[in-house]
Amino acid sequence: MIKSIDLMTDEAIMEAVKDGDLQQMSLLFDRYHKRIFNFLARMTMDRDVAEDLTQNVFVRLIKYRTSYRHGLRFQSWIYQVSRNVFSDHYQANKNKSSNFIDVDKVSDVVADRNEALEQDEREELLHRSLAMLDDEQREVLILTRFQQLKHEEVAAIMETTVANIKVKVHRAIAKLREHYFELEKI
Amino acid sequence: MEKEKIEDLLIDYIDGKLTEADRLLVEKELLINEETRKLYDQLKEVMQSIEKSTTLQPSAKLKNDFNLFLTSELKTVKETKTIFFQPSFYRVAAALAFLIIGGGIFFLIRNQYANQQAELEAMRKEVATTKLTLMAMLDNQQSASQRVLGATVAYKMEHTDDEIITALVKAMNEDENSNVRLAALDALRKFYHQKNVRTTLIASMATQKDPIVQIALIRLLAEMKEKEIVNELKHITTDDESLPAVKDEAYVALNQLV
Repeated sequence: MIKSIDLMTDEAIMEAVKDGDLQQMSLLFDRYHKRIFNFLARMTMDRDVAEDLTQNVFVRLIKYRTSYRHGLRFQSWIYQVSRNVFSDHYQANKNKSSNFIDVDKVSDVVADRNEALEQDEREELLHRSLAMLDDEQREVLILTRFQQLKHEEVAAIMETTVANIKVKVHRAIAKLREHYFELEKI
Repeated sequence: MEKEKIEDLLIDYIDGKLTEADRLLVEKELLINEETRKLYDQLKEVMQSIEKSTTLQPSAKLKNDFNLFLTSELKTVKETKTIFFQPSFYRVAAALAFLIIGGGIFFLIRNQYANQQAELEAMRKEVATTKLTLMAMLDNQQSASQRVLGATVAYKMEHTDDEIITALVKAMNEDENSNVRLAALDALRKFYHQKNVRTTLIASMATQKDPIVQIALIRLLAEMKEKEIVNELKHITTDDESLPAVKDEAYVALNQLV
């Protein structure tokens, strides 16, 4: 049976959180934490860091609940907060290592190894290629292709035009193909 | 046809987003051009790999940590809202009434005194344990969420000491994570009535570089009518490195203070 709470929009729940009903945030956590974790895991290529950053996203939503603007699409807001959390993490770590993504950890991001070996290898190759893209190209591919958000939604999140997103996606796929088949030769 | 152009068309072709005319153009090109066919095969393989990639599952720790944080926040909000109506308030009132009624009975007073001493000792021990826990959390370099929790525990304490204040100030000024810096500022805000906290926050205005913390700091100090920050606010409004949002906040604060 569908509970009435399941029918509440994200925006209505966030308004309730903003008005002080903090407990409702657990509903938004249930709806979004896997998506945000997947976004951050593929941005950082590190599951542990991604979990820590996902927690930070929800901490930030709770701490700054009063800054949620009425009418703003919640999904856009949570992805914007996630991008900021990632950016803070990136800024804090870029001076510590010349290579922000630890390529050796990429295989950890490849999901549970219970499928065919060939599929595992393909997926590892894909993630290694993804790690070689710059942050913006990786981000736009993760949002549009891995998370399957519409170009309009990604344009709102990245505060740009739909046409610009389409160009970025195409360039990112083209670059990903290059890396993928270069790595395959090795 | 240029490689970039054909690549664009091929991606849309694989996605099934081409017009009929473009679709026919691509299919003709695929028939006559081997290079295009190779490019198509490669793009298709990469795009299908993305489609087939598995969704990652976070560990149970993520949900546990979130629930822990939410519980702690709920408690903080509840305490703030119901501070005058807590059961402890009634308990203290009842204890006082009891003491007045039984004031003549020395035995009861002495008994009560002994109980109070025991309670005080228990409280001292509890405070010491809480302090150790929060200092360890604030010092946890591996996990920003643990450091945020540390600052939240500090916020919930009734009393603090120099060691805790120093750790919170260090977190506010130096922590690499914005959430930790803000949580530390939230905790310090609670102890604003202490002179050393006030002085430290004013001093931090000149050194703070994180715009989110800068804005929160300006709001707090303006709210507390700290006129000592006027010069620093003027500096922010003319500094090229200050972000527009921080400058706006500085102007608002100057209007409140001057």
